[in-house]
Amino acid sequence: MTLPLMRRAVLVAAILFAAPMALVRPAAAANVAEAFVADNIHKGLEVLNNKKLSTVQRRDQFETFLLGLVDVRRIGLFTLGQYRRGAPPEDLDAFIAAFRNYAVAAYQSYFARYSGQTLTVTGSTERSPTDFIVATQLVDPNSSQPPLEVDFRVRTDTGKPVLVDVSVSGIWLSLEERDQFTAFLGQNGGNIRTLITHLSDLAVNLGKPSN
Amino acid sequence: MRGLRALILGVGGLALAGCAYPPPTPEALAAGDPYEAMNRDTLLLNGKLDRYVVGPTVGIYFLLVPDAGRRGVHNFLGNLALPTIFANDVLQGEVRRAGQSLERLVVNSTLGLGGFLDPASKMGLPGHGEDMGQTFAVWGANEGPYLMLPFFGPSSPRDAAGLVGDALIDPTNQIPFKQHIWWTAGRDYFTLLDLKGQTYQTVRGIQRSSVDYYASLRSFWRQYRAEQIRNGRAPAPANLPDF
Repeated sequence: MTLPLMRRAVLVAAILFAAPMALVRPAAAANVAEAFVADNIHKGLEVLNNKKLSTVQRRDQFETFLLGLVDVRRIGLFTLGQYRRGAPPEDLDAFIAAFRNYAVAAYQSYFARYSGQTLTVTGSTERSPTDFIVATQLVDPNSSQPPLEVDFRVRTDTGKPVLVDVSVSGIWLSLEERDQFTAFLGQNGGNIRTLITHLSDLAVNLGKPSN
Repeated sequence: MRGLRALILGVGGLALAGCAYPPPTPEALAAGDPYEAMNRDTLLLNGKLDRYVVGPTVGIYFLLVPDAGRRGVHNFLGNLALPTIFANDVLQGEVRRAGQSLERLVVNSTLGLGGFLDPASKMGLPGHGEDMGQTFAVWGANEGPYLMLPFFGPSSPRDAAGLVGDALIDPTNQIPFKQHIWWTAGRDYFTLLDLKGQTYQTVRGIQRSSVDYYASLRSFWRQYRAEQIRNGRAPAPANLPDF
């Protein structure tokens, strides 16, 4: 076998071996993202559905569950939009801490509306090898309404899957948070400290029962 | 047609009022909302109308009309909208959805006792919304700047023009009969009550958890309209921002 022929044979062999890997790897990663959503959202709904828990126990368990699942820092920095650039690191850290408390209270309030419902993963779309959108349907057994379409955006670039956004009927929560935070900052001279104070007040109010 | 006149007057009034506001900030321009200062004032006005005019009657409606009755009203109003939905389905080239709308109209108007019942959904013909604003979007018209209309709420020039278009093609507006104004006013008012009943919890949730209710509503509205225009089809993943 001449050198060019050998080179071609090696190339063909490499492609033959690499091709199935290229085909299998995204599917496997997508399966990881889908399994991550299926397992964890069930757990979250179980916490919200557990009638044996007191309000404080439910809040604490939901917080532990959520913070183990969601990349709060990544979402928080995203929601600051252009105001993230040039902000002092200590302000950013204080903002992330306030955002964490706000997110737990707000997400608990969002997801409490769907307690008693069942979730089914229906598929996923790959944005990049580490960025997936997992499509699910929430079915309310007590309603004749069609299932609610809920999508979860999962990133896997940090080694383990993390949730970075949720969409209910096409409305992405992190996008909505970025829109309102940047509008608030625009109205308040870009002062992140003012936003931190406002978020902290909101987190406290959201923790109280609604009237 | 009175509602149509009110809408045209409202948009005209807004255009004039917009001249009295200072020029838009760079943030407002970046958000596609050059009339933000005026829109925020209009949202406050709508909030007052809601609190002092609409809110109390919604409470009375919920008190006097039982759940089954409210569902009947919801179905009836939905059935009245079907000819307009059908026309927009056709204008958008959505043949399957147009067929579905037509079948729903026939089934619910007959077996559904004039539209008060919804047997079509049980027969595998689920309802969907469609309007002229969406049709303009499908035809390639840009949304334009964000607008908060008095009474009508979040909108855009494209959607406001769509409201006018829908009023023009709505067959119930073409039926000549005496006291048409009471029919129009009654239908619009029950549509408002029904909408308030459907969205009350969601709107309360947004108000309660918002850092900036105005901006939150704007974002929800734009994403919701984009979803409606796509008819629930998934957006291109490339259109989502990177984290």
